[in-house]
Amino acid sequence: MTLLLDLILGLAVVGVAVWTLAVRENFPAVIGFVAYGLLLALVWVRLGAVDVALTEAALGAGATGVILLFAVVRLRGGRAEIDAATPGPRQRLAAGILCGVVGLALAVAVLSLPDPAPSQAAAVARHLPELGVANPITGVLMAYRGLDTLLEAVVLVFAVLAIWSMAPDRRWGAVPGPVFPVQSNGPLSLLARLLPPIGIVVGIYIAWVGADAPGGKFQGGTILAAMGILAWVAGLWRLPPVASRGLRWAVVAGPLAFIGVGLLGFVFADGFLSYPPAIAKPLILLIEAAMTLSVAAALVLMVAGPPEGRRA
Amino acid sequence: MAEALLLAAGLILLAALAGLYRALRGPAAADRMMAAQLLCSGGIGALLLVAAATGMAGVVDVALVLALLGAFASVAFVLAARGLSGR
Repeated sequence: MTLLLDLILGLAVVGVAVWTLAVRENFPAVIGFVAYGLLLALVWVRLGAVDVALTEAALGAGATGVILLFAVVRLRGGRAEIDAATPGPRQRLAAGILCGVVGLALAVAVLSLPDPAPSQAAAVARHLPELGVANPITGVLMAYRGLDTLLEAVVLVFAVLAIWSMAPDRRWGAVPGPVFPVQSNGPLSLLARLLPPIGIVVGIYIAWVGADAPGGKFQGGTILAAMGILAWVAGLWRLPPVASRGLRWAVVAGPLAFIGVGLLGFVFADGFLSYPPAIAKPLILLIEAAMTLSVAAALVLMVAGPPEGRRA
Repeated sequence: MAEALLLAAGLILLAALAGLYRALRGPAAADRMMAAQLLCSGGIGALLLVAAATGMAGVVDVALVLALLGAFASVAFVLAARGLSGR
């Protein structure tokens, strides 16, 4: 019974993926992508990787889907430019072959692992109490693979910079993205007033609970960003101009806190990104809190796009 | 009891997957949106049943995130379908 369900779920994921790649129009492709993310989240739960399922649900299906949707709208009417930038059949074939080879190599590597597979899991579980963090995923991400997580955090800042660099000179310093009229009635107005109070609590909860259970800064930050975008598209919240100092600090707060704590490790512990055991948990929570803010700010700015309004 | 809950989760998932046809084939954008929302709702139901059946930590939170972002995504779909700027 379970095997049959797993098989159906697996086939559905692969089927939706193939369909999403094959479909010609943009809007249906984004719907396919969101459906694919949803199904993938279910697959991760089925595999017992609830942390990954949360990330896929929030970032894969939610945030990326909405960023793609906004991209689809922006691409309308740019037929000639899109055609000029679309890779030719040979380039696409080459990319397809490369993806196939990488996928095959990964599959072979996974299938030829010795049984039991080599793992650091036991060592991590043994040292986890020293960090004061009960969720092993957060422990690994913040302590044992801290550098990887730091680089992920910095990438967000670069993504925002890359999008802002698309701004024409005369728009520089203006409000990012379109300005939406205030919705005073209708479903959007209702939803934008009802959902954010709940969503903000849930977002902070998901970020906070990450220390001890599935959750964390990226998932929590995504929910906060979604609530901000909802208020923005309903005209209830105006994005600050890109020249705003507060906005810029919000984007870099997380990476700065991360780097700052990392550098303190040279003085108070064994080196870069090493935490003194006595205050490991407060430091990790500090980074997580600052990162939640930065992830939320960066995602809102990625959806909004480059400054295009009147200069503030 | 746990097996009955898992069976129910499977059935909900199958029903939602049947709606996938409309998400992919349309024909109208509204059909696709509604089918994607059905898949989201079905996913939430299945996850809550799995959480009750297995007691796995955090599965209820995944359902919670899906519920919030599903409502949010429907707004984004509608905005995108009629072109931004809320005109």
